[in-house]
Amino acid sequence: MKIAISGKGGSGKTTISATLIRLIARRGLSVLAIDGDPNPNLIQALGVGPGVEAESVPRSVVERREDETGATRHVLTRSIADIVSQYGMKAPDGVTVLVGTKVDHAGAG
Amino acid sequence: MRSIVGEIVNHAEGVTVMDTEASIEHMSRGTVRYVDALLVVLEPYYRSMETAGRTVPLARGLGIERVYGIANKLRSPQDAEAVEAYCRNHGLELIAKIPFDENVVEADRTGRAVIDYDATSPIVEELSQTADFLLREVRVNGDRAGGD
Ligand SMILES: Nc1ncnc2c1ncn2[C@@H]1O[C@H](COP(=O)(O)OP(=O)(O)O)[C@@H](O)[C@H]1O
Ligand SMILES: [Mg+2]
Repeated sequence: MKIAISGKGGSGKTTISATLIRLIARRGLSVLAIDGDPNPNLIQALGVGPGVEAESVPRSVVERREDETGATRHVLTRSIADIVSQYGMKAPDGVTVLVGTKVDHAGAG
Repeated sequence: MRSIVGEIVNHAEGVTVMDTEASIEHMSRGTVRYVDALLVVLEPYYRSMETAGRTVPLARGLGIERVYGIANKLRSPQDAEAVEAYCRNHGLELIAKIPFDENVVEADRTGRAVIDYDATSPIVEELSQTADFLLREVRVNGDRAGGD
């Protein structure tokens, strides 16, 4: 099951995401939390102690490739299991968190 | 960054929950096209509800079948009625009505999770229902038990 949370800035997306994630994990499921905000703060909301800096997933895990039709697609250069074990952080209730690469304004987009 | 997150969501197994930067208007197709459900948070004021309303057709255009509304920071019955009316008129199924909760403010002040600050907080109680709803309605085969 894959869920995304959207809404206006400040509406409560991060608070709601974090709380739902913890609640689903408490129901006995393994949950991968993904922070897709360029200014990530999901780990704090999940209860990974204040002051912990997340390591973010580097751009190099995705590569652009051209398919037969000439359209470009993005593909992972490493297995998801690899990415999760190298960059995943542990949060309470057995949750694993991945943080997307922070925006560097030079190469954003 | 967007395609990294999108590709990770695409390949992830089990339950994956993605927090995003803003409304889907600001996200590329790549980020959300793989999700089974999109939760749209609305506060009871016009611009927030309008942002949510615009998301519904966009999400459907991306092929996301399940789009649900979550009302947040409700301070009065009038707030709840406003969000209910908006969702009804825009074909958005409202699955949670979260009150304005001082415990969120308190937890944030000290950088803690609200569920750790007080697990009986109104937001936690309301989202418990939402978690049950999602696991019942959206859960797909392949979601595995945790505990590792
Ligand atoms: N139900 C609520 N009651 C009170 N304050 C809330 C509630 N939900 C969120 N907030 C507050 O609103 C602000 C924005 O929340 P956040 O989850 O960071 O939103 P977003 O991720 O959408 O920008 C935070 O200061 C948070 O404490
Ligand atoms: Mg946020």
